[in-house]
Amino acid sequence: MAVASPPAGEQPTLGASSQVTADEVAVSWRPSRHARRLLTLAAAALLLAVITRNPALAGVAGPPLLLLGIGRARAGKDSAGKDSAGKDSAGKDSAGKPAAGRNQAPAKSSSAPALVGFRIGLTATRMYEGEPAAVDVTVADDTDDVRWSFEPGRGIEAGSATIVNGQAARFTFAVPRWGKRGLGSVTLTLHDRWRLFEGRVQLTLPSVDCYPSPAVQRTEVVLSKLPNRLGEHRARVPGEGTEFMGVREFVPGDRQRAINWPASTRRGRLQVNTFAAERSQDVVLLVDATSDVGEPGASALDLALRGAAGAARAYLTARDRVGVITYQWGGSHWLAPSLGRRQVYRIVDVLLRADSGFAGGSTFSRLPRAALPPGALVVAFSPLLTGRFVEALRDMRERGFSLIVVDVLNTAPPPRRTFADNIARRVWQLEQQAIRFSLRELGVPIVAWDGATPLDLPLGPYTRRPLVVRR
Amino acid sequence: MTTTVPSGQAQPRAGGLSVAGPRLAAVLLGAACVAWTATPLLHSGLAKTALVVAIIAVTAGALRLAVADIPQPEDDFMLPGYLRAWLDVLAVLRLLAWEETAVVAILWLEVQHPVRAWHTALLGAGLVAYLIVTHLAESGADPGLVLRRQWKLLTVGACLLAFGAGFALVPATGPGAGAALLRVLAAIAVVAAAVLVLPG
Repeated sequence: MAVASPPAGEQPTLGASSQVTADEVAVSWRPSRHARRLLTLAAAALLLAVITRNPALAGVAGPPLLLLGIGRARAGKDSAGKDSAGKDSAGKDSAGKPAAGRNQAPAKSSSAPALVGFRIGLTATRMYEGEPAAVDVTVADDTDDVRWSFEPGRGIEAGSATIVNGQAARFTFAVPRWGKRGLGSVTLTLHDRWRLFEGRVQLTLPSVDCYPSPAVQRTEVVLSKLPNRLGEHRARVPGEGTEFMGVREFVPGDRQRAINWPASTRRGRLQVNTFAAERSQDVVLLVDATSDVGEPGASALDLALRGAAGAARAYLTARDRVGVITYQWGGSHWLAPSLGRRQVYRIVDVLLRADSGFAGGSTFSRLPRAALPPGALVVAFSPLLTGRFVEALRDMRERGFSLIVVDVLNTAPPPRRTFADNIARRVWQLEQQAIRFSLRELGVPIVAWDGATPLDLPLGPYTRRPLVVRR
Repeated sequence: MTTTVPSGQAQPRAGGLSVAGPRLAAVLLGAACVAWTATPLLHSGLAKTALVVAIIAVTAGALRLAVADIPQPEDDFMLPGYLRAWLDVLAVLRLLAWEETAVVAILWLEVQHPVRAWHTALLGAGLVAYLIVTHLAESGADPGLVLRRQWKLLTVGACLLAFGAGFALVPATGPGAGAALLRVLAAIAVVAAAVLVLPG
């Protein structure tokens, strides 16, 4: 897939994490499974010793009873020691502050829950598809044995061991597909030093935003008629740019440094160089999120979002003003064109809303002028399966916008055995061809992109020369 | 605010041998306890039943440890039938108390034999070891650390086992059930005294 990702086999180092949550949680202590087993052994041995009158069986009950007794006694001592240190049974000190955050162990009693402080940190709250990240969890309890168990949420792939022993733990993960994803949960299990009591708490991890991996695009489609705004694209009119355009006769007021001395010598009169003006353009990315067909991970919507993210990055790098409109059932989300690196993230945030299915935003017919400035280049990413979207494209073309459509449909109904199915498939294919033909007839170029190659390849015929604006 | 995970405290469970080791040890100890208490083989109905139950429980306990790392899916309504059946098997393995069942069955098998004091004492040691190793295998705790903390207690426990065997070897003062019961009560009293005194 043509996405900007680290080279295969190269594992990036994950840095320190930023704190996301720090809180205290009540732990209910209860006898562990180990304690229950020891109790079973002791009780069975004692019962059988009395029934069978065998003293050796009473001896068998000795070690488990000893372990149970000493564990219980030490737990009571720990609890009493902490109570005498100024902490009440609810886990708060005399000043009313929770004491668990000061590395104090909670009291082991099945009836009295105690507080433990925990901290959750993330190396990144926003990431691209497949980019590794890590969640750090720490508990403020240095007296008990701690065990962490990570249960990844939907759409989260664990990248490391999911069970870790220790006061602090780091779980790496990756999100294979874009969207807002809940990370899942971490179960914290505390064991006392005799392994007879255990406290269990489930901590819900925060959610992360996974951005679609931007497609590779290094060239841009440039309109032949650009607005009168300073930029980096060569315009057809002379101006103060750096690209040579031609030579003309000197007129008073021309800069002397622009005089072309070889040409002046040849012609016998002063000649000056002229340069092309450099302008920027408005680009509106139109993403069709009404239909998501194809395999998850390489569906039409996946390709549309990746293509839009890559195009946004490419045009913003070229100092164009870029905006976005996501077209969904029930309405659309939009962002007015703007400049700057921050705009990339704003655009991707708008793209992520395409995940929500039915949009609650403004309707397509009520888009304000700011979303579609006149003279803007509109790059649409669509599988062209929705009639309303195709009609919207026709309408925009008739209103004079310069459009280019990136066709992201990379699937088709599978061939079947029955004649009727094959006829239906053939009709569907003809319909698709007709839709594309009608748009081309209106002067809307359509390029097919499979998601595997860079976007420069299908856009090549339109990036080599300016796209002629026709009204 | 940025935090770094303290090195040395966030060590993930090492793979391979350190995970499989305690599990294998638990299986071997369980099998050893069953074999130890079943020797010599008895042919009475109760003994056979106890032996079968013990073998099933130890095997199921071993299977539970072996499949401990297989996650349970959140919903299984879209899964095929054979996968659902496999998940049901996993649920049964995780639900029932196999180790407790094994311990009771092994002790019941032991009492089917005539009194053999030192044999029973060694069985007790084996059962305690089986339970501790099973806990280590399922919790992933550091065996060295746990055993270092408990070695004194385990030593005293071994002494109690020896006391119990010794009481069984003391010749009866007179015929009848009363003398045997007295020896049992004496052994229980020693155990109770140790449990009450040592933790203090």
